[in-house]
Amino acid sequence: MELHVTKRDGTRQPFDADRINKSIERACAGLDNAFSMVAQIATETRLTIYDGITSEELDIATINAAVQNIKEDIRYDKVATRLLLKTAYKRIVGEYNEDLTILAKRHADAFIDRIKKGVAEKRLDTRMIECFDLEALGAYMDLGRDELFIYSAVSTLLDRYALKGKDHKPMETPQMFFMRVAMGMCYNEKDPTAVAKKFYDKMSHLKYVAGGSTNINAGSARPALSNCFLIQMEDDMSHISKTVSDVMMISKATGGIGLSLTKLRSTGSPLASDNTYSSGPTPFAKIIDTAIRAIQRAGKKKGACAMYMENWHLDFPDFIDWKHNAGDDYLRMRTANTAAFISDEFMERVQKNQSWYMFDPKETPDLIELYGKAFKKRYAEYIDMAERGEIRAFKKVPAREQWRHILVALQTTSHPWITWKDPINLRALNNNTGTIHMSNLCTEICLPQDRDNIAVCNLASVNIVAHMKEEGEMDWQGLEDTVRTTVRHLDNLVDINVLPVEEARNSDSANRAVGLGVMGFADAVERLGVSYDSPQSYDFADRIFEFISYMAIDESANLAAERGSYSNFAGSGWSKGMVPVDTLERLESERGRPLSVDKSSKHKGLDWDLLRGKVQKGMRNATLMAVAPNANIGLVASTVPGMDPRFAQVFSRNKMSGKYLDLNHNLVKALEKANLWEKVKGKIIESQGDISDIEEIPEEIKKVFKTSFTTSPFAFIEVAARAQKWVDQALSRNIYLETRDIDEMMRVYETAWEKGVKTTYYLHMKPRHSAEQSTVSVNKASAMGKVGFGAVLAAKRAAAEAAAPAEMPKAPASVPVMTVEEEEEKVMVSVAGKPKVCPIDPAERAQCDSCQ
Amino acid sequence: MPIIGKASPEDTGLHPIHYQWAYDLYQQAVRNSWFPHEIALKEDLIDFETMTEEERHAVKYIMAFFNPAELMVNRSIALGVYKYLKAPEAHLFLARWMFEEANHCVAFEYVLETFPFDRETIYENHVQVPEMIAKEEFVTKYMARMADENLDIETPEGKRDFVKNLVATNIVMEGCWFYSGFMVILSFRQRNILRNFGSLVDWVLRDESLHLKFGINLIHTVLEENPELLTEEFAAEIRDIIIEGVSVEIEYNKALFPRGILGLNAEYVNEYVKYVADRRLEELGLEKHFNAQNPAKWMSTATDVFELVNFFEMQNTKYEVDAHGSGESKK
Repeated sequence: MELHVTKRDGTRQPFDADRINKSIERACAGLDNAFSMVAQIATETRLTIYDGITSEELDIATINAAVQNIKEDIRYDKVATRLLLKTAYKRIVGEYNEDLTILAKRHADAFIDRIKKGVAEKRLDTRMIECFDLEALGAYMDLGRDELFIYSAVSTLLDRYALKGKDHKPMETPQMFFMRVAMGMCYNEKDPTAVAKKFYDKMSHLKYVAGGSTNINAGSARPALSNCFLIQMEDDMSHISKTVSDVMMISKATGGIGLSLTKLRSTGSPLASDNTYSSGPTPFAKIIDTAIRAIQRAGKKKGACAMYMENWHLDFPDFIDWKHNAGDDYLRMRTANTAAFISDEFMERVQKNQSWYMFDPKETPDLIELYGKAFKKRYAEYIDMAERGEIRAFKKVPAREQWRHILVALQTTSHPWITWKDPINLRALNNNTGTIHMSNLCTEICLPQDRDNIAVCNLASVNIVAHMKEEGEMDWQGLEDTVRTTVRHLDNLVDINVLPVEEARNSDSANRAVGLGVMGFADAVERLGVSYDSPQSYDFADRIFEFISYMAIDESANLAAERGSYSNFAGSGWSKGMVPVDTLERLESERGRPLSVDKSSKHKGLDWDLLRGKVQKGMRNATLMAVAPNANIGLVASTVPGMDPRFAQVFSRNKMSGKYLDLNHNLVKALEKANLWEKVKGKIIESQGDISDIEEIPEEIKKVFKTSFTTSPFAFIEVAARAQKWVDQALSRNIYLETRDIDEMMRVYETAWEKGVKTTYYLHMKPRHSAEQSTVSVNKASAMGKVGFGAVLAAKRAAAEAAAPAEMPKAPASVPVMTVEEEEEKVMVSVAGKPKVCPIDPAERAQCDSCQ
Repeated sequence: MPIIGKASPEDTGLHPIHYQWAYDLYQQAVRNSWFPHEIALKEDLIDFETMTEEERHAVKYIMAFFNPAELMVNRSIALGVYKYLKAPEAHLFLARWMFEEANHCVAFEYVLETFPFDRETIYENHVQVPEMIAKEEFVTKYMARMADENLDIETPEGKRDFVKNLVATNIVMEGCWFYSGFMVILSFRQRNILRNFGSLVDWVLRDESLHLKFGINLIHTVLEENPELLTEEFAAEIRDIIIEGVSVEIEYNKALFPRGILGLNAEYVNEYVKYVADRRLEELGLEKHFNAQNPAKWMSTATDVFELVNFFEMQNTKYEVDAHGSGESKK
């Protein structure tokens, strides 16, 4: 059948294989194996096309053919990336006939044109023209930096962050995207063009990447740039209704929400107005769950919310079940996430095997505001009142039973996440304006809020790996420069930010809270040649965070000198000359027991006393650090997100923008160097990315490259605890577990609490059973040691050999059953045009697949 | 206790367990519990709007087959497997297996009732489209024998009929036909459309992988316990059933893709069917017939490795449900 391609204008042209090959060739330029890669991609593209395929589909088919070979050779990743970029350039910039000079020129022109058009159409901020020398910025962009990306980075960036045209297709290239975000942070700078270049340089070199909301909305006419919002639902109907509205408005502006429901009176609690009873928090939570589900269809980023409840709430047992997959849909949260806000008092009662009391917050409202020793005292008083019969409603269970109940739910539904109220509040430098009642969507934010203030945090993350020199040494100077630049970027953001709700504006402008995060930790540790669960890795985490924290705080103090302190500065921990590490002592003293974490400094030469003096004079931001999960921006930076371990050496990421194969390039390079890659690549997929049982791989490689399930779960805790010493907010600490033993799980989470970790995040359990694999050889029978009908065939073969022992078996010809099959095989072979005859020479036979 | 044979009173006592593998598979199946309503399909509906006529045809065609096919499997278990099995632990698995097929049927129904399809036509397709009728007839042919009152499971002939039916239903229908259908649906997700439907298929595929493990284990156990079945003639007969099953599927796939869509055409899918069929032959101890290559290398991303799900964006389909909170074990 003759193949045709349908062009964009609707005309049909014969399929031109030569043209496709040339374009693949260009994408392979300069790579080893280019010749065979071209042939492979061309052949496989051909398999998947049909008569009448559109030229756009043909581009996709070629890219997909390259992508499906990445598991064979990481160079295909480079080819796929270039092919994808080329389709983007062509669509966004126009034809450039493979001339890079023309491309650069047209790219700059197209950028300026898009900005002007965007402003004219009121999609972009007028300041995007007014403040900048557009010609200079257009020419400043460097398409060569696109070579830093891996395929999933470009795909995610174009899908999630690039501005879209009316046809929903991206109208920005990656470099245009970075420049737009850079410019969108500079309106109030003295020399906006110069600072935009600086931000652009850092981001386009993947030194740091802005948070998701900033990436989407920077430069737009309504720049809603914040990622994180914290709201507490009050126990009255008008505030409940307002909260529903706030949640929807904030979600529309791409913010993620932490929502505390602890204040809502419990089920059966009397209503004053008409002597009836409350239905408790669950139905109100369900309204929010449905509301965010409605919003998530509209924008680029889904609406998302984590619901918090303290575990002394009378309805807490229901809360634990909110994420179960069975049961009444009206009592289940299908979209929202849940997180338990747990006190030190509870953990202590678990460890002492004491009782736990749950109350109606209508009767015990002050517990919500208390923490530390004050909570302990008041809680004991309520227990006495309950036992004396002076409290309307309470429940009493063994603390350990509730703890177990929480962890069983966590294991089966990955919820509720475990977060701790006391370390969050006792270590805060910013809760001079009130108690912190919850963390946020991803459990890294610790900000106080109240009825008039919806807490807001603004994010960006520094990529550690981009600051490593070839030999695995850190470029500390470069890192300092990036941290300072990122803090400036974040502080600038606050004055440009447009927030949808007044309470959020209040909090944002009065606190200027920012959360600088870190990504690429696991990637960096691998490059240092150590495993995630090694003492060197813990010390590295300690050192990196001490350094970043120091520079971030110092820069904020500098900005305070230049621009003034944030308005809630007076009374804060900063104003008392405290830095985050100073608060460890307070936590220990309130707990009455020491933290089981190494409290010393690992980065020599940082003068913290000098900094203490400096912050006392003024700080520009209420908070500086928070380590977000970076699920998307980590991909854009082409590294391992946040503090996550390497999930497996090969695995798939299932995301809104697609399902990507993630293959550990560090491992591939190590194996190529040891001349082992070709030999073991199939086995790595077969073993689902766990190399520990692959014989050919030497121990020193296995030692470094562990998966999230072969890494000790206590390592996740230790890394978090070391980092947490220096971080004023918290970290999104994903946990990965192979064991399903609840007692072991209790030990992991109790260790986290004992080490002063503030929060944990999603729990990933290792699946015990996966679907049958498709692309590797599978034989369930031989795996069980069964032969089945093989016994018949073997017996027959033995008989045939006994009959003609001296002859080389000409094989199936002497076996009647096989004749038909053999005939068909011959037919197939001749169609394929590659006659396959086994050699006679023994040396050659040794190399022949059929003979072996 | 032999695994198949005439029912006797001791068949209802679970302990001692003779066939641990059957009991273990039952336990794992229970952990895999899921429900169709956990998946929200709204985004897929938007995708469906943007798909070409040929792509929509493929989706509808597959739905029309799968929805009744899941119940065909159930009927085969009920009529052709359950009553001839003696081991109670195997009965446990069969009961679970039947629930899962019912769950799959309503999962496809859930999709059918949500998508803007001409539902009446789709529900009737399987008794009107020749290529689908051929598939149902293929399975029915072997099943009919099992429903015969005169079948004596204690005879070699009865046992051969039992294995033939099991091969037709479990190895061919579930082990080959379903696998090609899943590959087609997952290919849409690989293009970033119908992602939520893809999540449902993740679950169905996970279940089917267990059914196949059970079926293959059962066949091998029957062969081991009844060595008189291990003859060249019977081996050839089994082989022919699988080869015939592939030829029926080839015609079906031609009707599924009269022209082809981006990334898929009938030839491509049939190459995959042959590749899977070769695997099934080898799993029964038979030799490969087709020597086909797997054209769908991307399936390594779709199914072969652990999946790290962005849970804000996608349903986590990898969870299991049976954590035990009781007892202070293993101190």
